[in-house]
Amino acid sequence: MAELILIQSGRARAIPFEPPRPFSELLASEGIHMAHPCGGRGVCGKCAVLYETEGGVPETKLGCQLVLTGDARVTLPDSRAASIQLSGTSSLPITLSPMKGRLGAALDIGTTTIAARLFRLADGRCLGEAGMVNPQTQAAADVMGRIGYAMKSGSGHLQRQVLGAIETLLSACLPSEHSREEIDALVLTGNTAMLYLLTGRDPEPLSHAPFQADCLFGTACQVLGIPAYLPPCMNAFVGADITCACLDSGQYDAGGISLLCDIGTNGELALLKDGVLRVCSTAAGPAFEGAGISCGCGGVEGAIDRVWIEDGALAYGTIGGKPPIGLCGSGLLDAAAALLDLGLVDDTGATDLDRLEIGGGIALLPRDIRALQLAKAAIAAGIRTLLHGASLAPEQLSTLYIAGGFGAHLNIESAVRIGLIPASLSQKVRVVGNAALSGACRLLLEEPSIRRAHAIADSARHVNLGGDPVFNEYYMDEMFFPES
Amino acid sequence: MDLDLISTKLQAGRAKEVKALVQQAIDEGIPVQDILEKGLLSGMSVIGEKFKNNEVFVPEVLVAARAMNMGASLLKPLLAAQGVKASGKACIGTVKGDLHDIGKNLVRMMLEGKGLEVIDLGTDVDPEDFIRTAQEENCQLICCSALLTTTMNVMADVVKAAEKAGIRDKVKIMIGGAPVTEAFCQQIGADAYTPDAASAADRAAAFCA
Repeated sequence: MAELILIQSGRARAIPFEPPRPFSELLASEGIHMAHPCGGRGVCGKCAVLYETEGGVPETKLGCQLVLTGDARVTLPDSRAASIQLSGTSSLPITLSPMKGRLGAALDIGTTTIAARLFRLADGRCLGEAGMVNPQTQAAADVMGRIGYAMKSGSGHLQRQVLGAIETLLSACLPSEHSREEIDALVLTGNTAMLYLLTGRDPEPLSHAPFQADCLFGTACQVLGIPAYLPPCMNAFVGADITCACLDSGQYDAGGISLLCDIGTNGELALLKDGVLRVCSTAAGPAFEGAGISCGCGGVEGAIDRVWIEDGALAYGTIGGKPPIGLCGSGLLDAAAALLDLGLVDDTGATDLDRLEIGGGIALLPRDIRALQLAKAAIAAGIRTLLHGASLAPEQLSTLYIAGGFGAHLNIESAVRIGLIPASLSQKVRVVGNAALSGACRLLLEEPSIRRAHAIADSARHVNLGGDPVFNEYYMDEMFFPES
Repeated sequence: MDLDLISTKLQAGRAKEVKALVQQAIDEGIPVQDILEKGLLSGMSVIGEKFKNNEVFVPEVLVAARAMNMGASLLKPLLAAQGVKASGKACIGTVKGDLHDIGKNLVRMMLEGKGLEVIDLGTDVDPEDFIRTAQEENCQLICCSALLTTTMNVMADVVKAAEKAGIRDKVKIMIGGAPVTEAFCQQIGADAYTPDAASAADRAAAFCA
């Protein structure tokens, strides 16, 4: 009999087991849930743990691949629910004219993360905020997988999961002197598919071309017995979260020519010109979230989130200053930029090395650079295709709004260095954080802005990138890194 | 001129340089067939091999294939004028309901890199369109791509449509795309599943040999 010491959030637990035993199986038998977004194939890197044996050096291992052969200590990333970073900066002042009731909550239902903020409606005071991993990720990590799951197994299960998560987050936000019954209003934003699954709508129309959503929301309804408002979506793949981001960033009100980018697994782009929003979604894949990268991990404690050059060599910093467990999206961008500057990777993405050491035993492999090239090319080509369609050059934009959790942490210089965003825009970037959530808060506290949300959604024109030869040409151009 | 230079530049994905070198080779009077085989196709086959061995990845193959296409665009009219025939003919498309075409384009370019003639039906292609094209153009191969779990089942409809049209024994149906597996291929009765574009090209060339 051997013993596993499992450590998480500073707490330890001893689990006896008969070696050899797969780590993930042992965890499951102990009732400890660990997400395997890639289905345990050892490719996404999301389940990285710190593994130590008696007298050995701590090593980062993939939880899904790890087989315990004897006594071991394994440190799990700190509980995601507690450590996922919430961000959001409302760039516009709110004129308080809230929805009716005592307390109200705004939620952004992301494919990966759900974030909530609770307010006292009378004075707009924020009473609490909370975030958690969307429990639907257990069924499938990405939107299409989720839609496929709903079509195969019915949407009831996914709907119950998201409703359960909302209930959990409301409790987490609620100060002890208030009760759940006082929550009288909800604003729930999210991408189109997430709102379909929330409302139990059959997502079949979103599953195939021509991808025509049969409902774009912008409606009031009841969720968990509370009057709720769902902001309008723009189309099947540019959802209410982008409407909210356009609203809260001030992009739409400012007028002129500007671009909003929400960089994630699906990059959503909205180009404003002459009062019309040209919007598209571009599939970057999960590299920016650290998935599909050999040493990748989410934005959790111990993730390398900053890499820079010091005295001609790479230096790094981790979230929370913890020992490094992997590289998250922002660290990946920094690392690639630094490797380009050091000449260890050339502009075609080629390298002579088998391993690109970042430090602390964390290294990128050549194929990770390639995965990043695919991801950044999808976003950069999307930007160029939108600009092309509007006959604009990047210099003509007055502002580039970067929205989303990843965008809040990325280093703009690195993003420019790898060619994710055009160099001519580096001085025009405004990082707006989780503007989808801030926009939802705005709708809750400033009810008249609902009209503006509808005006934004109505002004959207969808640009389809799939099968567009212009996009394909840019996509290949953007596969390269800019020459230094 | 050394045709290896074309091959090397092609492998590095330098499309414009490849095009210029091909033009230079034509101007120098090097036989067109040699430029194609010793310059472009040999470069592409190096990339294809490396891709299968995980030495290079999708981005390199994409940019190399684009470089090959730019070079080949100069050679095509000359080859046609000389009456050079392709070694086989395929039609390719992303199935109905699906608009993802990057993988499909990659396979098309790799097939062309094997000297096959390829008719690209684009995306969102109806099963009947595959069959009609195969009949009208005498294709030996029908290649179907799908990236979505929700659209891959259309591939089964393509197989059924080929049976119904009575051409099932005349064409090989090849399938691919992220959600597709060997088991799925057998289940729907297609002829071949390949996990990557280079293997697809090898398989296609073998079918046409």
